[in-house]
Amino acid sequence: MIQLSSICKSYQMGMEEVEVLKGIDLSIEKGEFTAIMGPSGSGKTTLMNIIGCLDRPTSGEYFLKGMPLSQYNEKDLAHVRNKSIGFVFQQFQLLPRLNALKNVELPMIYAGLRKKEREEKAKEALEKVGLSDRLYHLPSELSGGQKQRVAIARAIVNQPDLILADEPTGALDTKTSIQIMELFSMLHKEGATIVTITHDSEVATYANRTVFVRDGCIVKSKEGEI
Amino acid sequence: MSFFDNIKMALSSLNAHKMRSILTMLGIIIGVGSVIAIVAIGQGGEAMLKSMFVGSNNTVEIFYSPPEEEMEANSSSMLNSPFTEADIRALESVPNVKQVVASSGEFGSVSYRGKSVDSYISAINQAYIEVNNFKVEQGRNLLASDFLGGRRTAVVSSTFQEELFDGEDPVGKIIYIGVQPIEIVGVLKEETSFFSMGSNDVYIPLNTWRNITGKNEISQITIQVKNADAIEKTGKNATNLLNSIHNTEDSYQVMNMEEMVKGVSQVTRIMTIIIGSIAGVSLLVGGIGVMNIMLVSVTERTREIGVRMSLGATRGQILIQFLVESVTMTFIGGAIGIFLGAGTAAIIAYFAHWPSLVSWPVIIGGMLFSMIIGVIFGILPANKASRLNPVESMRYE
Repeated sequence: MIQLSSICKSYQMGMEEVEVLKGIDLSIEKGEFTAIMGPSGSGKTTLMNIIGCLDRPTSGEYFLKGMPLSQYNEKDLAHVRNKSIGFVFQQFQLLPRLNALKNVELPMIYAGLRKKEREEKAKEALEKVGLSDRLYHLPSELSGGQKQRVAIARAIVNQPDLILADEPTGALDTKTSIQIMELFSMLHKEGATIVTITHDSEVATYANRTVFVRDGCIVKSKEGEI
Repeated sequence: MSFFDNIKMALSSLNAHKMRSILTMLGIIIGVGSVIAIVAIGQGGEAMLKSMFVGSNNTVEIFYSPPEEEMEANSSSMLNSPFTEADIRALESVPNVKQVVASSGEFGSVSYRGKSVDSYISAINQAYIEVNNFKVEQGRNLLASDFLGGRRTAVVSSTFQEELFDGEDPVGKIIYIGVQPIEIVGVLKEETSFFSMGSNDVYIPLNTWRNITGKNEISQITIQVKNADAIEKTGKNATNLLNSIHNTEDSYQVMNMEEMVKGVSQVTRIMTIIIGSIAGVSLLVGGIGVMNIMLVSVTERTREIGVRMSLGATRGQILIQFLVESVTMTFIGGAIGIFLGAGTAAIIAYFAHWPSLVSWPVIIGGMLFSMIIGVIFGILPANKASRLNPVESMRYE
């Protein structure tokens, strides 16, 4: 599914060039639930941005489902983000003026679906995350856990090949975190490929594989069944 | 993403900041409104000035002004009365001439019961009444029988009525022009206009004038044509005819209306352009206001833009989203502006008594122009939005 080979990423910080990723090799199979762990500043967020096509590597090759993304232009990458990747962010990143249903409809608007179809699918996705009674609530009227559920519904609504979660429980309390991670587990059992970034080892236990990143390198990869 | 989705999105985000949107639109409303109003008022004024020169009833005046050589050759040419009764009949037979308006007149003292005022006594034929659209307020108009029989009847202006009768009903009263008694049969309705000033006028039939003064002259002739397009040619034919009858070369002339009208049009058009461009400056300021607010909006919605990009919006789609938003704003502003501008022009036209000319081309032009303003001043903010980096944008607080 995901094939990263010798991915490097460096930024220009003033006069200095800072190397954030130093030759990452990683492959993730379809249906895997992978946790990427590492201390802050290790480059895990940069790695996730590259996997999510939000950023481009300075060098190296990236294949998603066999697509040579390093050669894609910005517009093609936008289409990949739309069709193949579903994002879940720590800060939820819902649009505050749109209700839950409209937020979930967003990716389908860019996919060019008709209104009726969009509404149907959005309702389905919200039902799946257990929010069928909150369709018309604004984000400000929802709790943190509910907001994250809306975000998950938005991530899965276009049936992506990959769900990318960046610290999905970072802004939630323990009890809600468990609920959210169970939701990810459920999606995983249904066959979704999930990559999550976390520095919480509790969260990592839900994954069947954990990758440790330190100073821009993968230091350890651990297989484990739940 | 459909165009309709874009419009809906734009409307909802304009709706989210109502006050701000309205204030921003106000700049466009005032700009478009004042341009539309000025153009409409200018065109209305132009039409009115034109009609003042041409005569709104397709008339053209013939006047007698012998060139110097002719005056030397025939020293009595200025003393002769310029037109005769025979001329009128000759002119009536010129093709395309509908009727010939003839008049003469002079200032004189008119008295009633010992009180007298200076008035202009116009001796007119019946066509004069029709062409000048005389309407009476009291009594009756001069009739065919008055004209044919040379009856001693007159209609007077309402100013004359005020002066000599202090507003009392003068119908049936006998006034004296010199020593000649004349009966007033009617008072004319005052033409209300910005430009008309009341004067003491007494109108009597031409035949009556001849009888009481013994003068046989006709000093003014105006022809009314059937087909306005051929007015120039008919005027030429008429003057040629008169010149040949009187054995003169260029003594009878028509005013070159086309040149006059062109001159008037040019002046009013230049005025309209000057004032219109001053109003256009306010439209420019309005456009800058739109750009300003759109830039603020882009900054405020940096996060939204990042999220949309992460969900698969292309840079082009973000650009279009913000461009549609600014164009929607200027379109709505433009529509309101046209409405208000046309309204203002109509009100002014009503009070100034000239036609209100808000034409479809002006309306459509105004709409298109305000949309173009939206594109021009929206492109910079929209471009800024589309160039944002999604990763950094989502971190923006």
